Amino acid sequence: MGLLQVSTNTVTSAVASVTLTGINSDDVYMLTINNFVPSTDAQDFKIRVVESGSPNSTSNYDYAHKLLRSDTTYNNTSATNQTSFDGTSSTGNATGECSNGIFYIYNANNSSEFTYFTQEVVLASHTTLLAGFQGGGVFTSASQVEGVQIFPGTDNIQSGTFTLFKII
Amino acid sequence: MSKEYGYIGKEVTQAFRSNKGIFTPQDIIELDQENKWTNFGQLELIQTQNADDSSSTLDFTSIKENIYNVHFLTVNNMSITSAGTNSRSILVRLSNNGGTSFISSSTYQRAHQQCFSNGSFSEVKSTGISYLNLTGAATNSTATLSSNCYIYFYNLGDSTKYSFSTVHSSGQQKGNYLKSHFGSAVYPVAETHNAIRLVSSTSSENIEIGSASLYGIRSF
Repeated sequence: MGLLQVSTNTVTSAVASVTLTGINSDDVYMLTINNFVPSTDAQDFKIRVVESGSPNSTSNYDYAHKLLRSDTTYNNTSATNQTSFDGTSSTGNATGECSNGIFYIYNANNSSEFTYFTQEVVLASHTTLLAGFQGGGVFTSASQVEGVQIFPGTDNIQSGTFTLFKII
Repeated sequence: MSKEYGYIGKEVTQAFRSNKGIFTPQDIIELDQENKWTNFGQLELIQTQNADDSSSTLDFTSIKENIYNVHFLTVNNMSITSAGTNSRSILVRLSNNGGTSFISSSTYQRAHQQCFSNGSFSEVKSTGISYLNLTGAATNSTATLSSNCYIYFYNLGDSTKYSFSTVHSSGQQKGNYLKSHFGSAVYPVAETHNAIRLVSSTSSENIEIGSASLYGIRSF
Protein backbone atom coordinates (compact mmCIF):
# COMPACT_ATOMS: atom_id res chain seq x y z
CA MET A 1 0.00 0.00 0.00
CA GLY A 2 1.25 3.46 -0.79
CA LEU A 3 -0.09 6.90 -0.14
CA LEU A 4 -0.19 9.82 -2.52
CA GLN A 5 -0.97 13.13 -0.90
CA VAL A 6 -3.80 14.91 -2.64
CA SER A 7 -4.40 17.88 -0.40
CA THR A 8 -3.44 19.14 3.04
CA ASN A 9 -4.23 22.07 5.30
CA THR A 10 -2.65 22.94 8.62
CA VAL A 11 -4.69 25.35 10.73
CA THR A 12 -2.69 27.51 13.11
CA SER A 13 -5.20 30.31 13.62
CA ALA A 14 -8.94 29.91 13.92
CA VAL A 15 -10.95 29.17 10.78
CA ALA A 16 -14.58 28.21 10.30
CA SER A 17 -13.84 25.19 8.13
CA VAL A 18 -11.28 23.33 6.07
CA THR A 19 -11.93 22.04 2.57
CA LEU A 20 -9.81 19.38 0.92
CA THR A 21 -10.39 18.50 -2.71
CA GLY A 22 -8.65 16.48 -5.38
CA ILE A 23 -10.60 13.21 -5.46
CA ASN A 24 -10.59 12.42 -9.16
CA SER A 25 -10.34 8.66 -9.47
CA ASP A 26 -12.15 5.54 -8.33
CA ASP A 27 -9.39 4.69 -5.85
CA VAL A 28 -9.99 4.53 -2.12
CA TYR A 29 -8.97 7.74 -0.37
CA MET A 30 -7.75 8.23 3.18
CA LEU A 31 -8.34 11.31 5.31
CA THR A 32 -6.11 11.86 8.33
CA ILE A 33 -7.09 14.31 11.03
CA ASN A 34 -4.33 15.18 13.43
CA ASN A 35 -4.68 17.42 16.47
CA PHE A 36 -8.14 18.81 15.80
CA VAL A 37 -8.74 21.40 18.53
CA PRO A 38 -12.00 23.39 18.60
CA SER A 39 -11.94 27.04 19.57
CA THR A 40 -14.89 26.35 21.88
CA ASP A 41 -14.48 23.59 24.44
CA ALA A 42 -16.41 20.33 24.13
CA GLN A 43 -17.08 20.54 20.40
CA ASP A 44 -16.97 17.84 17.77
CA PHE A 45 -16.07 18.14 14.12
CA LYS A 46 -18.39 17.33 11.27
CA ILE A 47 -17.81 16.36 7.67
CA ARG A 48 -19.62 17.14 4.45
CA VAL A 49 -18.83 16.02 0.94
CA VAL A 50 -17.79 18.61 -1.61
CA GLU A 51 -19.26 18.57 -5.11
CA SER A 52 -18.31 20.99 -7.87
CA GLY A 53 -16.51 23.19 -5.40
CA SER A 54 -19.28 23.44 -2.80
CA PRO A 55 -20.09 21.46 0.35
CA ASN A 56 -23.35 19.57 0.15
CA SER A 57 -25.57 20.38 3.15
CA THR A 58 -28.65 18.45 2.11
CA SER A 59 -30.16 15.86 4.47
CA ASN A 60 -28.41 12.89 2.91
CA TYR A 61 -25.98 11.76 5.59
CA ASP A 62 -26.51 8.55 7.57
CA TYR A 63 -24.09 7.19 10.16
CA ALA A 64 -23.69 4.62 12.91
CA HIS A 65 -20.94 4.75 15.52
CA LYS A 66 -19.81 3.12 18.67
CA LEU A 67 -18.65 5.69 21.20
CA LEU A 68 -16.08 4.00 23.41
CA ARG A 69 -15.22 5.61 26.72
CA SER A 70 -12.62 4.83 29.34
CA ASP A 71 -14.93 5.74 32.23
CA THR A 72 -18.34 4.23 31.63
CA THR A 73 -20.59 2.15 29.39
CA TYR A 74 -20.21 2.69 25.67
CA ASN A 75 -22.87 4.41 23.62
CA ASN A 76 -24.34 3.69 20.22
CA THR A 77 -24.83 6.77 18.09
CA SER A 78 -26.72 6.62 14.85
CA ALA A 79 -28.84 8.87 12.69
CA THR A 80 -30.30 9.14 9.22
CA ASN A 81 -31.00 12.05 6.93
CA GLN A 82 -28.61 14.41 8.65
CA THR A 83 -26.94 17.43 7.08
CA SER A 84 -23.41 16.17 7.90
CA PHE A 85 -21.46 13.30 9.45
CA ASP A 86 -20.38 13.40 13.05
CA GLY A 87 -16.62 12.94 12.97
CA THR A 88 -15.84 12.86 16.65
CA SER A 89 -17.33 13.61 20.06
CA SER A 90 -16.93 16.41 22.63
CA THR A 91 -13.31 17.34 22.15
CA GLY A 92 -11.49 19.42 24.71
CA ASN A 93 -9.27 22.38 23.93
CA ALA A 94 -7.10 22.48 27.04
CA THR A 95 -3.43 21.55 26.78
CA GLY A 96 -3.04 18.10 25.24
CA GLU A 97 -6.70 17.64 24.44
CA CYS A 98 -7.61 17.04 20.80
CA SER A 99 -9.09 14.56 18.31
CA ASN A 100 -7.17 12.36 15.89
CA GLY A 101 -8.50 9.93 13.35
CA ILE A 102 -8.40 8.06 10.07
CA PHE A 103 -11.25 8.02 7.58
CA TYR A 104 -11.37 5.83 4.49
CA ILE A 105 -13.55 7.16 1.67
CA TYR A 106 -15.10 4.85 -0.92
CA ASN A 107 -16.85 5.44 -4.27
CA ALA A 108 -16.54 9.21 -4.01
CA ASN A 109 -15.60 9.74 -7.63
CA ASN A 110 -18.25 7.37 -8.96
CA SER A 111 -21.29 9.42 -9.91
CA SER A 112 -23.56 6.38 -9.92
CA GLU A 113 -22.77 5.26 -6.37
CA PHE A 114 -23.22 6.59 -2.85
CA THR A 115 -20.07 7.76 -1.05
CA TYR A 116 -19.12 5.67 1.99
CA PHE A 117 -16.86 6.40 4.94
CA THR A 118 -15.29 4.30 7.66
CA GLN A 119 -13.75 6.02 10.63
CA GLU A 120 -11.64 5.34 13.68
CA VAL A 121 -11.10 8.32 15.92
CA VAL A 122 -9.44 8.79 19.29
CA LEU A 123 -9.84 11.88 21.42
CA ALA A 124 -9.34 13.46 24.80
CA SER A 125 -12.62 15.00 25.84
CA HIS A 126 -13.22 18.32 27.57
CA THR A 127 -12.92 16.40 30.84
CA THR A 128 -9.63 14.84 29.68
CA LEU A 129 -11.20 11.43 29.44
CA LEU A 130 -10.28 9.11 26.62
CA ALA A 131 -12.94 8.30 24.06
CA GLY A 132 -13.02 6.46 20.77
CA PHE A 133 -15.40 6.96 17.90
CA GLN A 134 -15.58 4.02 15.51
CA GLY A 135 -18.05 3.26 12.77
CA GLY A 136 -19.14 4.35 9.35
CA GLY A 137 -21.34 6.58 7.32
CA VAL A 138 -22.81 7.10 3.90
CA PHE A 139 -23.75 10.06 1.76
CA THR A 140 -26.94 8.80 0.16
CA SER A 141 -26.79 10.65 -3.11
CA ALA A 142 -25.33 9.08 -6.21
CA SER A 143 -23.05 11.87 -7.25
CA GLN A 144 -19.47 12.69 -8.05
CA VAL A 145 -17.70 13.85 -4.89
CA GLU A 146 -14.40 15.69 -5.22
CA GLY A 147 -13.53 16.29 -1.60
CA VAL A 148 -14.60 16.92 1.96
CA GLN A 149 -15.27 19.87 4.21
CA ILE A 150 -14.42 19.64 7.94
CA PHE A 151 -15.99 22.07 10.38
CA PRO A 152 -16.75 22.22 14.10
CA GLY A 153 -20.18 21.83 15.68
CA THR A 154 -20.05 25.48 16.60
CA ASP A 155 -17.58 28.32 16.33
CA ASN A 156 -14.16 27.64 14.75
CA ILE A 157 -11.37 25.14 14.29
CA GLN A 158 -8.58 26.42 16.50
CA SER A 159 -5.87 24.16 15.12
CA GLY A 160 -5.20 20.89 13.37
CA THR A 161 -3.69 19.21 10.35
CA PHE A 162 -6.03 17.72 7.76
CA THR A 163 -4.66 15.63 4.91
CA LEU A 164 -6.28 13.74 2.07
CA PHE A 165 -4.38 10.85 0.48
CA LYS A 166 -5.10 8.58 -2.42
CA ILE A 167 -4.28 4.95 -1.69
CA ILE A 168 -2.11 3.57 -4.46
CA MET B 1 25.98 10.06 -7.46
CA SER B 2 26.69 12.97 -9.71
CA LYS B 3 25.81 16.31 -8.15
CA GLU B 4 25.40 17.95 -11.54
CA TYR B 5 22.05 16.42 -12.60
CA GLY B 6 22.53 17.03 -16.27
CA TYR B 7 24.23 20.35 -15.93
CA ILE B 8 27.86 20.48 -17.01
CA GLY B 9 30.36 21.81 -14.55
CA LYS B 10 27.83 23.15 -12.09
CA GLU B 11 26.76 21.44 -8.93
CA VAL B 12 23.05 21.86 -8.17
CA THR B 13 21.59 21.90 -4.68
CA GLN B 14 18.55 19.66 -4.44
CA ALA B 15 15.79 19.93 -1.85
CA PHE B 16 12.23 18.81 -1.33
CA ARG B 17 9.98 21.03 -3.46
CA SER B 18 13.05 22.26 -5.30
CA ASN B 19 14.48 19.68 -7.69
CA LYS B 20 16.34 20.99 -10.71
CA GLY B 21 18.00 19.15 -13.57
CA ILE B 22 17.73 15.86 -15.43
CA PHE B 23 17.62 12.79 -13.24
CA THR B 24 18.59 9.20 -13.70
CA PRO B 25 16.59 6.52 -11.85
CA GLN B 26 19.54 6.15 -9.47
CA ASP B 27 19.55 9.90 -8.80
CA ILE B 28 15.89 9.70 -7.85
CA ILE B 29 16.40 6.71 -5.56
CA GLU B 30 19.25 8.41 -3.74
CA LEU B 31 17.52 11.77 -3.43
CA ASP B 32 14.40 10.00 -2.17
CA GLN B 33 16.45 8.24 0.48
CA GLU B 34 17.83 11.59 1.55
CA ASN B 35 14.31 13.05 1.55
CA LYS B 36 15.33 15.56 -1.11
CA TRP B 37 13.04 14.23 -3.85
CA THR B 38 9.65 15.92 -4.17
CA ASN B 39 7.16 13.15 -3.52
CA PHE B 40 4.02 14.35 -1.78
CA GLY B 41 2.50 11.89 0.63
CA GLN B 42 4.45 8.92 1.81
CA LEU B 43 3.92 5.79 3.80
CA GLU B 44 7.48 5.10 4.84
CA LEU B 45 8.74 1.95 6.45
CA ILE B 46 10.81 2.88 9.49
CA GLN B 47 11.73 -0.57 10.75
CA THR B 48 10.62 -4.20 10.81
CA GLN B 49 11.35 -6.38 13.83
CA ASN B 50 11.13 -10.17 13.91
CA ALA B 51 10.60 -12.18 17.06
CA ASP B 52 12.78 -15.24 17.59
CA ASP B 53 11.82 -16.52 21.06
CA SER B 54 14.88 -14.88 22.63
CA SER B 55 13.16 -12.00 24.40
CA SER B 56 9.86 -10.96 25.88
CA THR B 57 10.13 -7.57 24.17
CA LEU B 58 10.49 -6.00 20.76
CA ASP B 59 11.65 -2.38 20.89
CA PHE B 60 11.50 0.36 18.29
CA THR B 61 13.97 2.98 19.45
CA SER B 62 14.42 5.06 16.28
CA ILE B 63 10.87 5.98 15.42
CA LYS B 64 11.58 9.34 13.73
CA GLU B 65 9.04 11.08 15.91
CA ASN B 66 10.48 14.42 14.84
CA ILE B 67 9.37 13.70 11.26
CA TYR B 68 6.01 11.96 11.57
CA ASN B 69 2.90 13.04 13.43
CA VAL B 70 1.16 9.78 12.60
CA HIS B 71 2.75 6.33 12.92
CA PHE B 72 1.30 3.04 11.68
CA LEU B 73 2.31 -0.27 13.26
CA THR B 74 1.42 -3.66 11.84
CA VAL B 75 1.77 -6.84 13.88
CA ASN B 76 1.69 -10.10 11.99
CA ASN B 77 1.45 -13.68 13.21
CA MET B 78 2.76 -12.96 16.70
CA SER B 79 2.68 -15.52 19.50
CA ILE B 80 3.91 -15.94 23.05
CA THR B 81 5.69 -19.09 24.16
CA SER B 82 3.19 -20.58 26.57
CA ALA B 83 0.02 -18.89 25.51
CA GLY B 84 -1.48 -22.01 23.94
CA THR B 85 -2.44 -23.13 27.39
CA ASN B 86 -2.64 -19.75 29.08
CA SER B 87 -4.24 -16.48 28.16
CA ARG B 88 -1.55 -14.02 27.20
CA SER B 89 -1.40 -10.75 25.32
CA ILE B 90 1.19 -8.49 23.78
CA LEU B 91 1.19 -5.04 25.34
CA VAL B 92 2.38 -1.72 23.93
CA ARG B 93 4.29 0.78 26.03
CA LEU B 94 5.96 4.11 25.27
CA SER B 95 9.26 5.62 26.29
CA ASN B 96 10.20 9.25 26.86
CA ASN B 97 13.95 8.60 27.04
CA GLY B 98 14.74 6.82 23.80
CA GLY B 99 14.07 3.34 25.11
CA THR B 100 16.24 3.44 28.23
CA SER B 101 13.03 2.68 30.09
CA PHE B 102 9.38 2.29 29.17
CA ILE B 103 6.45 3.82 31.01
CA SER B 104 4.64 1.15 33.02
CA SER B 105 2.80 3.26 35.56
CA SER B 106 -0.99 3.04 35.63
CA THR B 107 -1.41 6.26 33.71
CA TYR B 108 -2.68 5.10 30.33
CA GLN B 109 -6.38 5.06 29.48
CA ARG B 110 -8.14 2.80 27.04
CA ALA B 111 -11.58 1.96 25.68
CA HIS B 112 -11.87 -1.18 23.59
CA GLN B 113 -14.66 -3.31 22.24
CA GLN B 114 -13.90 -7.03 22.29
CA CYS B 115 -15.66 -9.45 19.98
CA PHE B 116 -15.40 -13.24 20.28
CA SER B 117 -16.47 -15.87 17.79
CA ASN B 118 -18.21 -17.80 20.56
CA GLY B 119 -20.80 -15.04 20.70
CA SER B 120 -19.37 -13.05 23.57
CA PHE B 121 -18.89 -9.29 23.35
CA SER B 122 -17.50 -7.03 26.02
CA GLU B 123 -16.38 -3.52 26.78
CA VAL B 124 -12.84 -3.22 28.10
CA LYS B 125 -12.14 0.18 29.58
CA SER B 126 -9.92 1.78 32.14
CA THR B 127 -8.71 5.19 33.24
CA GLY B 128 -5.55 3.78 34.75
CA ILE B 129 -3.68 0.88 33.18
CA SER B 130 0.00 0.21 32.64
CA TYR B 131 0.06 0.00 28.84
CA LEU B 132 -1.21 1.90 25.87
CA ASN B 133 -2.69 -0.93 23.88
CA LEU B 134 -2.55 -4.62 23.36
CA THR B 135 -2.50 -6.66 20.23
CA GLY B 136 -5.25 -9.00 21.36
CA ALA B 137 -5.05 -12.70 21.90
CA ALA B 138 -1.75 -14.41 21.42
CA THR B 139 -1.18 -18.12 21.41
CA ASN B 140 1.80 -20.28 20.72
CA SER B 141 2.98 -21.25 17.30
CA THR B 142 2.58 -24.99 17.85
CA ALA B 143 -1.14 -24.44 17.83
CA THR B 144 -0.79 -22.44 14.58
CA LEU B 145 -2.60 -19.61 16.27
CA SER B 146 -1.45 -16.03 16.39
CA SER B 147 -2.29 -12.40 16.96
CA ASN B 148 -2.50 -9.80 14.22
CA CYS B 149 -3.33 -6.14 14.34
CA TYR B 150 -2.65 -2.63 13.19
CA ILE B 151 -2.24 0.40 15.42
CA TYR B 152 -2.17 4.10 14.56
CA PHE B 153 -0.21 6.39 16.87
CA TYR B 154 -0.71 10.13 16.97
CA ASN B 155 1.49 12.96 18.29
CA LEU B 156 4.30 10.82 19.68
CA GLY B 157 6.80 13.54 18.87
CA ASP B 158 4.70 16.50 19.97
CA SER B 159 5.66 17.61 23.45
CA THR B 160 2.53 19.74 23.72
CA LYS B 161 0.05 16.94 22.98
CA TYR B 162 -0.98 13.68 24.53
CA SER B 163 0.00 10.51 22.68
CA PHE B 164 -3.04 8.74 21.25
CA SER B 165 -3.61 5.44 19.50
CA THR B 166 -6.29 3.38 17.82
CA VAL B 167 -6.11 -0.38 17.31
CA HIS B 168 -7.90 -3.10 15.39
CA SER B 169 -6.87 -6.69 15.96
CA SER B 170 -7.80 -10.23 15.10
CA GLY B 171 -6.33 -13.31 16.73
CA GLN B 172 -7.00 -16.70 18.17
CA GLN B 173 -7.87 -16.94 21.82
CA LYS B 174 -7.08 -19.83 24.11
CA GLY B 175 -9.71 -22.43 23.28
CA ASN B 176 -9.34 -21.89 19.54
CA TYR B 177 -11.85 -19.17 18.97
CA LEU B 178 -11.45 -15.80 17.41
CA LYS B 179 -10.91 -12.72 19.46
CA SER B 180 -11.12 -9.37 17.71
CA HIS B 181 -10.96 -6.00 19.29
CA PHE B 182 -10.93 -2.38 18.28
CA GLY B 183 -10.71 0.84 20.18
CA SER B 184 -8.66 3.73 21.42
CA ALA B 185 -6.07 4.60 24.02
CA VAL B 186 -4.18 7.60 25.30
CA TYR B 187 -1.22 8.43 27.50
CA PRO B 188 -2.57 11.69 28.96
CA VAL B 189 0.71 13.45 29.58
CA ALA B 190 1.89 16.12 27.16
CA GLU B 191 5.45 15.06 26.38
CA THR B 192 7.56 13.58 23.59
CA HIS B 193 7.62 9.81 23.17
CA ASN B 194 10.51 8.44 21.19
CA ALA B 195 10.40 4.67 21.51
CA ILE B 196 7.75 1.94 21.36
CA ARG B 197 7.91 -1.45 23.06
CA LEU B 198 5.90 -4.57 22.35
CA VAL B 199 6.06 -6.73 25.46
CA SER B 200 4.68 -10.07 26.51
CA SER B 201 2.05 -9.73 29.22
CA THR B 202 4.13 -12.20 31.24
CA SER B 203 7.73 -11.08 31.33
CA SER B 204 9.09 -14.59 31.84
CA GLU B 205 7.58 -15.72 28.56
CA ASN B 206 9.13 -14.69 25.27
CA ILE B 207 7.54 -13.51 22.07
CA GLU B 208 8.05 -16.70 20.15
CA ILE B 209 7.32 -15.74 16.57
CA GLY B 210 5.90 -12.90 14.56
CA SER B 211 6.90 -9.64 13.00
CA ALA B 212 6.08 -6.00 13.58
CA SER B 213 6.60 -3.17 11.12
CA LEU B 214 6.53 0.50 12.00
CA TYR B 215 5.69 3.06 9.33
CA GLY B 216 5.50 6.82 9.28
CA ILE B 217 2.73 8.68 7.48
CA ARG B 218 4.06 11.93 6.16
CA SER B 219 2.23 14.91 4.83
CA PHE B 220 3.69 18.12 3.47
